[in-house]
Amino acid sequence: MRERAAYPGNFIGSMFTYALFVFIFSRVWAGAYAGASEIAGYTMRMAVWYFIVAEVPSFGFGRFFWTLSRDMKNGQIAYLLARPYDYVGYNFAEKYGGSLVEAGVILVEGLLVGTLLVGPPPLAGGASSLAGGAGVAEEASRALLVGLSLLLAGALNYFLQASIAMTAFWLEENEAFFWIFQKLTLVVGTLIPIEFLPTAAATLARLTPFPYLSYAPARIMVAYSPGEAWSLVAAQALWLVLAAALARIVFSFGSRRLSVNGG
Amino acid sequence: MPAIIARDLSKTFKTKVRPSGRLAALRSLVKPEYRDVRAVKGVSFEIDDGELVAFLGPNGAGKSTTIKMLMGILRPTGGSATVLGLDPAEDRVELSRYVGAVFGQKSQLWFHLPPSDSFRLLGSIYEIDDDDRRWREAELIERFGLAPYWDVPVRKLSLGERIRCELAASLLPSPVALFLDEPTIGLDVVAKREIRQLLAEAARVDDTTIFMTSHDMGDIEKVCKRAIIIHHGEVVVDESMKALKRRSLSRKYVGVRYASPVDLELPGLSPVKRTPTAASFEVDTSRHSLAEVVRALASRGDLEDITVEDEPLENVIAAIYETRSGAEAQALGLNASKGAGAARAGEAASA
Repeated sequence: MRERAAYPGNFIGSMFTYALFVFIFSRVWAGAYAGASEIAGYTMRMAVWYFIVAEVPSFGFGRFFWTLSRDMKNGQIAYLLARPYDYVGYNFAEKYGGSLVEAGVILVEGLLVGTLLVGPPPLAGGASSLAGGAGVAEEASRALLVGLSLLLAGALNYFLQASIAMTAFWLEENEAFFWIFQKLTLVVGTLIPIEFLPTAAATLARLTPFPYLSYAPARIMVAYSPGEAWSLVAAQALWLVLAAALARIVFSFGSRRLSVNGG
Repeated sequence: MPAIIARDLSKTFKTKVRPSGRLAALRSLVKPEYRDVRAVKGVSFEIDDGELVAFLGPNGAGKSTTIKMLMGILRPTGGSATVLGLDPAEDRVELSRYVGAVFGQKSQLWFHLPPSDSFRLLGSIYEIDDDDRRWREAELIERFGLAPYWDVPVRKLSLGERIRCELAASLLPSPVALFLDEPTIGLDVVAKREIRQLLAEAARVDDTTIFMTSHDMGDIEKVCKRAIIIHHGEVVVDESMKALKRRSLSRKYVGVRYASPVDLELPGLSPVKRTPTAASFEVDTSRHSLAEVVRALASRGDLEDITVEDEPLENVIAAIYETRSGAEAQALGLNASKGAGAARAGEAASA
């Protein structure tokens, strides 16, 4: 994290792009909601706040593939393997740990920009919830679960991207796989909630890991109910275990094929 | 038991052939063609505990590939290796606890962090107890003179300072063997001298086995006691530095300078450089007596200066590098790996 924070200026580009995206989407939703108070159970304020939270993993945890691929393609991996650690676990600690700084900065920016554009996020207990002990507890538990869900989304993102990046052990060109991964992530739960998709597509999407990369934390944020939130977090944890196992399997087979010619 | 054993170690890389022409390029998408590149062809040697070995060869000879196989980073295509009693390909993680490495062309330190943070991180990676790490750090800071830039991010260090830190970092876990791949590349003469001194001291103080590749003859002469030369993926020379240097003794360079112009025609010997008052001769001592050449030159005029120098070691090694195959290199009359043991034994006996 200290290494990642060495150049805070690097975050400015991401912060600017993120703010621009949020602004553009808030205008898009303003147009889409003209004459409609709700679409698929989401009000305009919910849709904007959904986008604000769903974009945090894209900006904070969206570039693991490139750094891992760079290490593999320029041969740096050969030198990283010369240490007594578990390569997949070490990289997770280094790259995921470092990305938490940027994700945190983007999240704080999102909270500020969202509040300025459409007011504070919808209350955890819905419009009927009142300030008081129960309301505060519910807000606190939502904040905790959104945070946990974002952390799980980042970790899941890492292991899926690492698995794709490590196909470089076999393939010289593997960027097409990541391109497909990125686009699916964007469509399935980042740009729009999966409830906006046709029912069949939404059902199919729930069987894949993609909703758990951005949909889960955003859904918990805008339509909080403890039961649904915990089931989303549990599904994220399950996919995380599977993705971590996949990354280890890919590394275990792939590292035997490492081919780094020259010094 | 030797620290490092390589037996017929070989590595073949498969390289995709990129055909020219659009049709051929399209065909290669469906059915790619590969070409085998034999980087290392059956290399064998043994290195004892505490030995200081130079592993030499021209670019593309297979040096780095051999080092990577010995560290377990690459799996050999054929043959076997044993390093500190472990099979590098199967026990890479375990082996890396006892083996250090410095790659002059790659940094192993965290670029944006100061050495102090990198050392702390390495201490955790190598599971060194905090007190032990601090004690070892203090020793290395003093020995390598790291105090002035201990808290400066690595990206702000000069190359010489960075290599000092890299070398010190590689010694933090007190490795039993140290692999160095061109550790002085790009350094100025002063920095090179310092790094060589530090390396020699590290080997002496910690009794570390050193296996070093370098294109710099100074590194090799100052640090190593034995040279293994690999060329075309094969070991073509494996002998002590003393024996290698002795090869250069068969040629001498004699330089003379006179107070006034002189006639310097010597039977069977022509100067390699000539001015009216000075000349230098390359003397093959197997054909000409050095004493007679010196006497003849001294008698030609009013001599102001005369120098006799050995042929640079670089020339001997260059002659080997210029060969087109392992067999041709061996035909130069140099010891190949198979005879190396006997050659070294003879060396030891004569010493």
